[in-house]
Amino acid sequence: MKDILRLMVVLTATCFVAALTLSQVYQLTKEPIAYQKRLEVLRAIRAVLPNIDNEPDKDTVALQFEKTSTGESREVIFFRGRSRGELTGVAFVVTSPEGYGGRIEMMLGVDPQGTILGVEILGHLETPGLGSKIGGTAFRQQFVGRDLKNTQWAVRKDGGDIDQITGATISPRAVVKAIKMGLDIYQENRQKISGG
Amino acid sequence: MGVTGEFLKGLWKENPIFRLVLGMCPALAVTTAAINGIAMGLATTFVLLCSNLVVSLVRKIIPARVRLPSFIVIIATFVTIVDLVMAGFFFRLHKTLGLFIPLIVVNCVILGRAEAFASKNPIFSALADGLGMGIGFTLSLGVLGAIREVLGNGTLFSIPIMGASFLPFLVMVLPPGAFIALGFLLAAMNRIAQKS
Repeated sequence: MKDILRLMVVLTATCFVAALTLSQVYQLTKEPIAYQKRLEVLRAIRAVLPNIDNEPDKDTVALQFEKTSTGESREVIFFRGRSRGELTGVAFVVTSPEGYGGRIEMMLGVDPQGTILGVEILGHLETPGLGSKIGGTAFRQQFVGRDLKNTQWAVRKDGGDIDQITGATISPRAVVKAIKMGLDIYQENRQKISGG
Repeated sequence: MGVTGEFLKGLWKENPIFRLVLGMCPALAVTTAAINGIAMGLATTFVLLCSNLVVSLVRKIIPARVRLPSFIVIIATFVTIVDLVMAGFFFRLHKTLGLFIPLIVVNCVILGRAEAFASKNPIFSALADGLGMGIGFTLSLGVLGAIREVLGNGTLFSIPIMGASFLPFLVMVLPPGAFIALGFLLAAMNRIAQKS
């Protein structure tokens, strides 16, 4: 009995000290981590929205969307970029679950009319050297200036206007589909996003 | 063996990767580039050093029957500290190493050293052991990462060194490349060890 008590005391004390230490470290690193995350978001927004002088992460609209296949709802945050107070572009995150290695997350930037200003890949698990080329400028740059009307939204292999990547079809396909979906969402909600 | 001996054994004679073949999961998974291997190695070294120190300090207080859970709590505490500090101050690196930082907890090198060495030896020997093992681990991961980066990507520390006509061996930065590089390195190490 005494023995068990001793084991309990030692384990409890160990965990108590560990928890105390971690809460201190957490307090100390909370702000730097939040700051780094914000920088990361801002960097991605600035990459897809040229010519802005505001802080787009403080000028946002959040909209709820029903995911038809699963029934759950999903929130998309639209970051509004302005130059001298006037809306010059909107950036938002689009995700594709259909990448070769998993989810592909992108920041999409459009001008108020819905023409693409820039695409930035935030995270992907595609094959290095093949599918990972979706992150390269050559692939991403071809989306600039495209909108829903002037483009067939598919890779060339499928009869569309987007150049695929040799040796990797699945990754570009996933990106194209996600961007097209992002443009659709933007068009349908343009009023809500630019106003209010 | 003196303190110096405890330090030196981790570098070559009992090198965790090439002689003990421990901690293979991070060694194979993150070494797609030299910098990733070294960063992972340094993070592991820090945890190893701290856990060896604390385990050696409390080795007479912790009853044998609860030593493993206690060691794991100690190790997990330091891993969480590394995770939080890296997220706050080395954000890019933290993003690259991602999932593998929390997994340092289950790196058998660390529990192995705590159990086999630090729990039976005084503080200075334990520190020397942790530092030696950590540096041995870091160097091994660095070498593995450098070989894979040069062959698979044509760069070293992201600087192109193979010239424009070099066609990268893509497989070397993919998972099989990790096994191939490790296999050749192990063979070379065994050969050198046999001769001396």
